[in-house]
Amino acid sequence: MTSIICDNDNQNKERLSLHVLCLNSESSTVTIVRYCLDRMQQPQVRQLLGNARYDQCPIENPQQLRPSESGDRNPFSFTPQLIHLHKDHEMFEDGDIHRHMYLQDLYTSDKDDKPALSVAEFACHISGCSAVFSSLEEYEHHYNSLHRHVCSSCRRSLPSARLLDIHIQEWHDSLFTILAQNQDMYQCLVEGCGQKFRTSKDRKAHLIGIHKYPPDFRFDKSRKDKGGRETKKQLHKDAAMEVVPDVCKSEGVCEVLCEVLTDQPEKEESMEMHVSEEDVAHMGQCASAGEPADVSAAAHGCTGMEPQKPRYSYRVPTTVCFGHGSVRGFRGRRGRRK
Amino acid sequence: MRTQKKTFPTWCRSCRRGYRHAAADTSERWRPNGTTDPTRNMWRLNKVRHKSGRQGDSLEELRLKRREHERALRQARRDRQLVSRRLLLTEDEDQAEVTMDTASEGQGVVDVFHKIHHSGPDREAHMKVLSKALRDPSAQLTFIKLENSMHLLVGLLTGSDARCRLQAARCLHELSRSPHRDVAPACLPATSYLLTYLSGQSTRFTELCLYTLGNLCPDSEVVQQKLLAQGIIPALASCMEIQRHNPAVVEAVGFTLSQLLQTNDAAVKVIPTVLASSLPAQLLSVLAPDPNFALAPAIESAWCLHYLTSSSRDNKELLSRGALLQCSSLLVSLGGAEGNKEEGLELLVCPLLRCVGNLLCCCPVEELNTAVADPQLVICLCALLQNYLQTQPALARESAWVLNNLTAHSNTFCSALLTFNLVSGMIHLLPFSQGINTLILRVLANIAHKKKDFCVQLAQLGLLSALCATLKMADQEMVTLSLDVLFMLVVSAPQVAEEFVQQGGVSLLEAIQYNSEGEMRGRATYLLEHHLLSQ
Repeated sequence: MTSIICDNDNQNKERLSLHVLCLNSESSTVTIVRYCLDRMQQPQVRQLLGNARYDQCPIENPQQLRPSESGDRNPFSFTPQLIHLHKDHEMFEDGDIHRHMYLQDLYTSDKDDKPALSVAEFACHISGCSAVFSSLEEYEHHYNSLHRHVCSSCRRSLPSARLLDIHIQEWHDSLFTILAQNQDMYQCLVEGCGQKFRTSKDRKAHLIGIHKYPPDFRFDKSRKDKGGRETKKQLHKDAAMEVVPDVCKSEGVCEVLCEVLTDQPEKEESMEMHVSEEDVAHMGQCASAGEPADVSAAAHGCTGMEPQKPRYSYRVPTTVCFGHGSVRGFRGRRGRRK
Repeated sequence: MRTQKKTFPTWCRSCRRGYRHAAADTSERWRPNGTTDPTRNMWRLNKVRHKSGRQGDSLEELRLKRREHERALRQARRDRQLVSRRLLLTEDEDQAEVTMDTASEGQGVVDVFHKIHHSGPDREAHMKVLSKALRDPSAQLTFIKLENSMHLLVGLLTGSDARCRLQAARCLHELSRSPHRDVAPACLPATSYLLTYLSGQSTRFTELCLYTLGNLCPDSEVVQQKLLAQGIIPALASCMEIQRHNPAVVEAVGFTLSQLLQTNDAAVKVIPTVLASSLPAQLLSVLAPDPNFALAPAIESAWCLHYLTSSSRDNKELLSRGALLQCSSLLVSLGGAEGNKEEGLELLVCPLLRCVGNLLCCCPVEELNTAVADPQLVICLCALLQNYLQTQPALARESAWVLNNLTAHSNTFCSALLTFNLVSGMIHLLPFSQGINTLILRVLANIAHKKKDFCVQLAQLGLLSALCATLKMADQEMVTLSLDVLFMLVVSAPQVAEEFVQQGGVSLLEAIQYNSEGEMRGRATYLLEHHLLSQ
């Protein structure tokens, strides 16, 4: 009898690859199945779990395994509970205060002093990401931008499944490299175009010439830049999505910028930044470009602009501002999220 | 008679504090369900009295003071030192006239004391002056340090001049309000007499004695021990019995009892005696929605019952007297679909909710249907939830808590929530925090736990899509609970599992497989493996 437990192995940096531990209770061995979640469209995952390939591997983190004899133990533990509250319980505080205000002749039905009702926050639960949001839309936006189409090999976040596929194919598939020597393998990035090219340069020319793409389109980096970037990425493999809090100090300019840029925050935050023409202009105005972990690309993409400070953390760039005096970034880990 | 403009149609002679009681004319009677009843004004409370506010204070200043005061009370509660003392105004006192002129109070007290000491026909007048002077805290300290001051006061309290007795009681009342710890024990020589007078017939005088005793209780263990030894509880019981038709006195008894019940050792030293007396029955009778119902005494009685039920988990004594029935019925008649917006009603609703909530914990399921006779209690609780959500979220939260206890083991009440169409309204409250959504989700979980058919109904009412949102919340407890509820829904019927998959639930769970918490990952995986991906 096997059970499948998902184990988020912190040592392995391929964050969105699915580790499946199969416990074989008879032989007490564990096999680990590992594959890239991102390479697959979601429905195919289901099939994969059924046709898993097995590699024999030792257990890496035994503490993360749930002890299980039968292997199929139901983890759900809800039972209805009667809750008795002692008179000193904190849930009774507001009512007690109200009562004593009345006793001390300070009762008033004044509506202005009412405590505000708060709305629950949302939080990204992906291990290592501690972003918090005040609305569901923000959460969805965050998740779709940063976690949905992520390459497991190099952790780059791409904006769509198609671009992710192309990225993986061109960057991480050795078969592609071989085939590309003899055939036109580089697809045009525009959906529906269908044309293929022998080199990425040809494709880029096509994109610029025919489809009027900007010459520094962020999602069409050639592979030879990869080396430099990847080195830098190695340094921050352990970097969580946690952002160093930073207060926006600009005076009034930010509001204008923010309105312009609100429709592009995803790209600012993702590992691949889309530096459009307008971004370049604005970056020049505001502080240095907060291009995460990719200084060379910034120089590459925005000629004539000098970043004041190279930054390697996953900062929210200075061009995104939540208001004067606000913390520029997502809030850090909350106490309860251990 | 004063010529002050009054706003009340009737000036009740016995209470004199401006409550709008049922008129002496008994043709006006209170009808439990009447919304067009003219005596509904009996629910009204006396409006806010800013005792310490001077005439010149602006509204904003008053508000600031209130907020500061509130903060101080909160801190006191956290330190387990939340104590209040009530002031009973004199008959000819206008609230606005109460000032805090403290000029030369200390010397004034000494002078007046000497005047009183040396007898004379003006004694009563001097005593009035003294009682006013004793409103000042430093004067209170000065007084008790004077030699024989208490002895004199006790002498006047027990003397043959009835008017001096009243004034002596008034002086003691002012002393009882002192924040200084030394003052209450200094009043001990008088307590046995105050207790004796509780079985008297003079209502105003009795009221004064009661509030004085109630003010003396907190803070001083010495005083508490003495009072208990002197038989304060039987005295209160008999007083309530004798004066049960006088709302003001009943309110005063309730207040004094509530002070006793809040003391530190109450569970051991006070409550057993109280439960053995006739007080529980009397407290419950005050809550009966009969023609004698008045709001202020009901408030005090309800708070007493709350302290009784929340100090221990064993409330069989109260249950056997029908406490759950009484409290829940009153709640139902107060709640109502349109929400009773009378001012001050939440002062009664709050302790009633707590009584019901805690009493439900020790009521066996089999007896629940008789103990809570009216299934419409769920309607009432949901109405309270909605009505208080914005204005008093704490009260909304307590309503949700009671709903949890009501539905935990009872098919009847779970079914009632579905039958009365209350579930959609509850689902809409899941976005709100401060503990409200976890409690509401618990209630929905209680319903789902009972029957598969309930699960199917819950799914039809939109719980699945609500869970897709709650699974993304920051609160760990919410997410775990959501997974538990999801599990129950998904295993209830194949169409529920299918609908969840259609709503994109699989990718949602797959994301949870990367959660930092093992508990979450395990649950998500189990659901996917056993129930969703085998489709």
